[in-house]
Amino acid sequence: MPAPRTNQGVIHDLGYRHYDGPRLGRAHIARALLLESAKGAYGLGRSARSKVMPMLLLAAICLPAFIIAVVAAVTDVDELPADYTSYVLNVQALVMIYVAAQSPALVSRDLRFRVMSLYFSRPLHRIDYVVAKYAAMTTAVFLLMALPLTIMFVGALLAELPIDEQVPDYLRSLGGALLTALVLSGIGLVIAAITPRRGLGVAAIIAVLAVLAGVQGAMQAIAVEENEATVAGYAGLISPFTLVHGVQHAVLGAGSALSEGPPGTIGSVVFVVVTGLVVAGSFGALLLRYRKVAV
Amino acid sequence: MGTLLLDKVSRWFGNVVAVNDVTMTIGPGVTGLLGPNGAGKSTLIHMMGGFLAPSSGSVTLDGEVVWRNEEIYRKIGLVPEREAMYDVVTGWQFVLANAKLHGLADPAGAARRAVDTVQMTEAQDRDISTYSKGMKQRIKMATALVHDPPVLLLDEPFNGMDPRQRLQLMDLLTAMGDEGRTVLFSSHILEEVEQISGSIQVMVAGRHAASGGFREIRQLMTERPHQYTIRSDDDRALAAAIISDPSAAAVQLVAAHDTEGAAARGDASTGRRDGSGSLHVQATDFASFVRVLPQLASRHNIRLYEVSPADESLESVFSYLVAR
Amino acid sequence: MNATVAQLTARSLLGRRRAYLLMALPAVLLVLSVASRGLAGQDAGITVGVLGGFALATLVPLLGVIAGTGAIGPEIDDGSIVYLLSKPLSRYSIATTKAMVAIAVVTGFAALPTFVAGLILSGTSSRLALGYAIGALAAGIAYGTLFLLLAVMTRHAVVVGVLYALIWEALIGSFVPGAQALSIQQWSLALTEQVVGARAEELDVSSAVGLGAAVPLLLVVIVGSTWFAGWRLRSLRLTSDE
Repeated sequence: MPAPRTNQGVIHDLGYRHYDGPRLGRAHIARALLLESAKGAYGLGRSARSKVMPMLLLAAICLPAFIIAVVAAVTDVDELPADYTSYVLNVQALVMIYVAAQSPALVSRDLRFRVMSLYFSRPLHRIDYVVAKYAAMTTAVFLLMALPLTIMFVGALLAELPIDEQVPDYLRSLGGALLTALVLSGIGLVIAAITPRRGLGVAAIIAVLAVLAGVQGAMQAIAVEENEATVAGYAGLISPFTLVHGVQHAVLGAGSALSEGPPGTIGSVVFVVVTGLVVAGSFGALLLRYRKVAV
Repeated sequence: MGTLLLDKVSRWFGNVVAVNDVTMTIGPGVTGLLGPNGAGKSTLIHMMGGFLAPSSGSVTLDGEVVWRNEEIYRKIGLVPEREAMYDVVTGWQFVLANAKLHGLADPAGAARRAVDTVQMTEAQDRDISTYSKGMKQRIKMATALVHDPPVLLLDEPFNGMDPRQRLQLMDLLTAMGDEGRTVLFSSHILEEVEQISGSIQVMVAGRHAASGGFREIRQLMTERPHQYTIRSDDDRALAAAIISDPSAAAVQLVAAHDTEGAAARGDASTGRRDGSGSLHVQATDFASFVRVLPQLASRHNIRLYEVSPADESLESVFSYLVAR
Repeated sequence: MNATVAQLTARSLLGRRRAYLLMALPAVLLVLSVASRGLAGQDAGITVGVLGGFALATLVPLLGVIAGTGAIGPEIDDGSIVYLLSKPLSRYSIATTKAMVAIAVVTGFAALPTFVAGLILSGTSSRLALGYAIGALAAGIAYGTLFLLLAVMTRHAVVVGVLYALIWEALIGSFVPGAQALSIQQWSLALTEQVVGARAEELDVSSAVGLGAAVPLLLVVIVGSTWFAGWRLRSLRLTSDE
């Protein structure tokens, strides 16, 4: 509005302000997306209802570890009642459910409500989006497994068990947890990205993981009964949990809870290669999926 | 026949009162349900359609309660707001399925008539997932019309329609109203409501703010003076005459070529484009003003060129109601 | 039972993506059966393990969840259920029709493949194939109707259903004996035990629940879930877009 020419008043422009200063770049956006997604996987920063399932699962998975730690600290034991490296195998159902429930929460909503254009109209490339989401899910699943393992470790320390035995096992189990997180997140995110319908995504992920685990168990049992050691060993490739467990045993030197680990050096190599293929394949599939997403 | 009666209807969700003590009668003809977003229009239509129970009060159609009464749907056609439909079937198959679900004696014939009425005959054999938003709306209309109901409830039917489709739908609704059906539609777009509604129901913040024709509502707003724009051959003399009469509260001369000055004052009511000025009058007593004005003009030998109400539009009525 | 409702339900339930999942699961069972037969020959113990431990324990509940929730969940979710509800149709009729479609899907994709898998693994010996097929059928019907009801009651039916199938049935069922009395799996296992008859005990086909308890419990769940789903549909609230 022009000021009247007669007196010396001033009218200030209180309208929209344009920002011309420096802007944070791609890396910052990707990092922010990663943090938000990782927090969202536990319902932090979202509604109360979305906290229920992940927190419940976190509590459920830590409970046995807590009990073990307390038992160890209170009574006189030479070693922990349970094994670090096979803990994950024993609670795999809970981890499966977590991946199935939260992968759609991370990925399906953006696709279902078609807000991808909001992401990509910023200096965020599709590969950044995929990397951020994959890393976020991996972090969330890793935490899910690392927390109970750490609780057990603390219990072991309080029970004054020999540290030089505990630390390597603990670290091995963490390595296994990280690999498991990578593999499971890959599978979960790919399936969730394909089926934007949340309910179907959850069912599909659970179906895939549970069926793989079931088939692996059946094949292993049969092979062991028929004294087919190699088959029993390679049966571990079928389920992601046993796959990583095999790598943990063969490469990281952990004990094996399965009756048969990967057979020999060739077996170890195969296991490692397959793990790498699954992770790379999932990442590639996600990239392909998001390349096709209409903006 | 086909009269919806809402009697002291309220609906609350926990602490939020969505509809607050509403009493209204919806009879034959086209009625527009008007209100800003969040005023409770959708809640009201859901209650009228039997998809939500009133927390207190009753909703009846010709004396029958609507809630939990499946038979009432023979008399009601509902056009929902949400877009989703059974995507995997074609338009024709969907309307036909709806006809069959109503248990009609000749479902194919009824479906054909309904699809023709909404002018979707050419596209009826394509999958619904390939339809544009306007086409989906029209198929929704067809499903609501297929059983020839005396009552039609439409929740924001003009959403997402292009101008041509809007005109078609307005014509259709007007035709339905003329046939004697009870048509109720909700909208927050004033032009649509203004053009086809015989009467309007205004909802503001869950309360029933006004009902009736919008001109009648305007006349009832006595605390707001009526505004008129008058052009004559001697504006100043006429202004002097008008202000001496008790029916007018204020007069304002808008001179010719005063566009600059008007802009500086932020005044939108500038002089006429053809160069002549005009007179703005605020009349507190509308009834006597319209009687007095011709008498004043003839007594002072002033010729009147134009007398038009400046705020007798639905928009001004609506803004007065909302701003109360 | 309404033919039009059934048609619409079947079309949306067997939509492309869900159909792939529905086909993939029994395919895995059949592949596993062929592989086991190849590896170990005809072995009753392995048959029991595969059919009881994999088909009945994992496959049937999963298919029950997918079919049961898929028969009504997506329609409630996106609001297209209004087209069924704004008709002079009894809600109980709608619920029953949808339940029948879910049951048909479960029969075709769970019970039948279980039967075929049983034949592959053991032929007709000891009536294992038939026994487990009947158990799978009963369990599938029970799961399907139960999850149909769940889908009407909550939008998170799938997750809750999966939790039930995996945690309750598999974990708690193994550790807490009392919980086994409330397990659909155990009830259907009672039917299997009855059909397998003579060799049941020897093959370790046993249920924690007797037939006299299992059959009524199954019927209560099946009929009760369907009826209650119809009852809930009478007061279903339409929501706006999320």
